Amino acid sequence: MRRFVASVVALALLVSTVTPALAQAQAQGTLDRINQTGTLIIGTRTGSPPFAYVNAKNEWVGFSIDLVEELVKPAIEKKLNKTIKIEKKESTPPTRIPLLTSSAVDLIAGTMTDTRTRRDSVDFSITFFVTGAQFLVKKGSKIRGIKDIDGKRIAAQQGSTNARIIREKAPKAQLREFPDQPAAFQALLQGQVDAYTNDGIQLAGLKAKAANPAQWEVVGDFFSYEPYGMAMRKNDADFRNVVNTGLMEGIESGKYFEIYDKWFGPKGELPYPMSAGVRTFMLYQAVPK
Amino acid sequence: MKYTFNWAVLWTGESGHWLLSGLIVTLELSALAWLLAVALGIVSGAFRTVKFRPLRALATFYVEFFRNVPLLVWMFFWYFAVPPFLPGPIREWMFDHGLEFWAGVLALGVYSGARFSEVLRSGIQSIPKTQMEAAVASGLTTFQAYRYVILPVALRLIIPPGTNESLNLLKNSSVALTISVAELTFQTRQIETYTAKAIEALTAGTVIYLVLCVGLASIMSWVERRTAIPGLIAGGGRRR
Repeated sequence: MRRFVASVVALALLVSTVTPALAQAQAQGTLDRINQTGTLIIGTRTGSPPFAYVNAKNEWVGFSIDLVEELVKPAIEKKLNKTIKIEKKESTPPTRIPLLTSSAVDLIAGTMTDTRTRRDSVDFSITFFVTGAQFLVKKGSKIRGIKDIDGKRIAAQQGSTNARIIREKAPKAQLREFPDQPAAFQALLQGQVDAYTNDGIQLAGLKAKAANPAQWEVVGDFFSYEPYGMAMRKNDADFRNVVNTGLMEGIESGKYFEIYDKWFGPKGELPYPMSAGVRTFMLYQAVPK
Repeated sequence: MKYTFNWAVLWTGESGHWLLSGLIVTLELSALAWLLAVALGIVSGAFRTVKFRPLRALATFYVEFFRNVPLLVWMFFWYFAVPPFLPGPIREWMFDHGLEFWAGVLALGVYSGARFSEVLRSGIQSIPKTQMEAAVASGLTTFQAYRYVILPVALRLIIPPGTNESLNLLKNSSVALTISVAELTFQTRQIETYTAKAIEALTAGTVIYLVLCVGLASIMSWVERRTAIPGLIAGGGRRR
């Protein structure tokens, strides 16, 4: 009996010394964590060209990844006064917010749309890309827009804004939600679904990388406004400031537009010229020093 | 980062409806797959123990082929690799009538059938050889011997590991979400993405699976007691 009591007391002492340390870790800001570990962990996509994907040479690259490496990382390094490494982990629409809240990653840099509802759970950086939802269909399909999809089978990614909007605006459509993009596209390829909905730019990326791009069309007016932002944990203003500073300095210096040209310019992976309206919007987002 | 709990998300709005429909799909998927698995398991398990070589080889091939590949791969196989071989009109009709559900049933049923088969085989092989010899000596054909002597005993013997496999089947049904079947785990993720309350949503899913599995295990334990042959199986259970 005495030994039992002794071991319980020992356990209690152990727990009481460890938990303050844990609590300390929880309350620690992201910048402190990066300072300690020397690594910025980002959650990003593996199948969303050209934002974040694994290319033919088996390298994990993309527009969003470049923005982190060339704009955000230098800003963090300048703030902390030390060099840091970037570690990439895969995140998908259903998993990205839990990955952030559990501190498995510090920043989500992929194709996440900034919405007011999501801002209840995470904070967003300034917008780094503007697009809207459309449909990917086989060439010649009768589906030309959101008005044509009643009763049709539509693939979407579970957890995406597109799935939610289809439920609201076209409840008669048969929605088939997949965990990630490759499975959804495969279903479209084989005819299990009639159309695949996602943000226009991602559909253009899928089409360009498909075995036979001429077989596919991106159709429909934007049925939603999708501004992409980088997500991070709430109530971490210092970290958000640094990320935004990095992006804004990139816009001011023109480096952002260079990176944009690399991926979306005439010689880029996926030519997608920036409209004058979007260019003005990006420039106005960069508040003065 | 502080996490604020909000358990109300589980019953406000669409969440309750989603959990219910997910539960129903899980039960339907598991029940149909279970029937298929038990049928395949009994046939295959019996075939693996007969003297006739071709049947043994066929059953061995079935078991080794289907149990050694992960279930996730089978899900993709039945949903993506099989439909192109179906004739056009049938395929189109299936696309509109829950192909993903039936692909899930087949994947889960055939895979679990291979596992049930091994469980049954071990049950059959633990019956003394003398039983089979006596059955044949008293004039029964092999088929009759299996039907009236061997299988009734074997099936009672394997209730514990069989329960294990049945519970595995129920839990494995969640893999079907990768081919867009809206079962229970899919719906808990749905709640999580719509409300951003991961802990509440996952707790709901966990509790429901727990209740289902404990319920199933209790039923099987009742079946075991009801069907026990007095004096045949040594030890275990309450004396009646």
